[in-house]
Amino acid sequence: MTTAKKILANGISEQEAIQRAQQGDAECFEALYGLHKRRVYSLCLRMTGNTAEAEDLTQEAFLQLFRKIATFRGESAFSTWLHRLAVNVVLMHLRKKGLPEVSLEESMEPQQEDGPKKDVGTRDNVLAGSIDRVNLERAVESLPPGYRIIFVLHDVEGYEHNEIAEMMGCSIGNSKSQLHKARMKLRDLLKQSKAEKAANRR
Amino acid sequence: MTCAEFQKVLPYIIDGGGSPEEQEHLRTCPVCSDLVADLRYIADIAKLLVPMEDPSPRVWNGIEKSIEREGLVKPARRNF
Repeated sequence: MTTAKKILANGISEQEAIQRAQQGDAECFEALYGLHKRRVYSLCLRMTGNTAEAEDLTQEAFLQLFRKIATFRGESAFSTWLHRLAVNVVLMHLRKKGLPEVSLEESMEPQQEDGPKKDVGTRDNVLAGSIDRVNLERAVESLPPGYRIIFVLHDVEGYEHNEIAEMMGCSIGNSKSQLHKARMKLRDLLKQSKAEKAANRR
Repeated sequence: MTCAEFQKVLPYIIDGGGSPEEQEHLRTCPVCSDLVADLRYIADIAKLLVPMEDPSPRVWNGIEKSIEREGLVKPARRNF
């Protein structure tokens, strides 16, 4: 049985595990890690696309958590607090790499690439019901990092635009605009994938 | 309202709202309504991407070494 499960099986709640960790209880540190590692790692992996980087960032996120745990007062859910910390760790990492996620102001420039914008034109087949997890994973991996971050934060992780704007230092309008572009890009990728599958079946 | 005009504001109204003119365009334009259906579908299926993988044990090993070195933990009790 894992430490996390042992702790919870002994009737110790997550809240008590946090309090004990704040007092330096090593097994409670491990229990908290066990409870939250998958979600933090998954977030890091989606945002970097690289398992080694994701593991390094996961480690850094939890280290920062444990260094700051004494300051956690329960104003928000522990998982939310941890999650925001992890997002900040990833964003710092991406900024150091100089990836385009910092340039969200590009939404102010005219963009010709996105959208049908047609008053004429055919109706494509809609996507509904045709996409599975594997296709979606591949499409998300293919997104440019700036689009991927917004899509992951909003549609996968469920953050609101005002929260994303605060995390990323942009306006709510920019967050909405970038999310739209991310979804449009995914739409193109998924339609392409769907068309390729249909062609292969013939 | 043209499709181009509608699609320009779409990022800001897709989750609700929009003027009566925008809502009317969405109701009557098959291209834009298909587009919105696709975008909402993509937002919905994002929920498929639930976390599925754990990091390797080296991650905890690294954390454990650091928190011990930094004096963040007391020696572990072994009474579980």
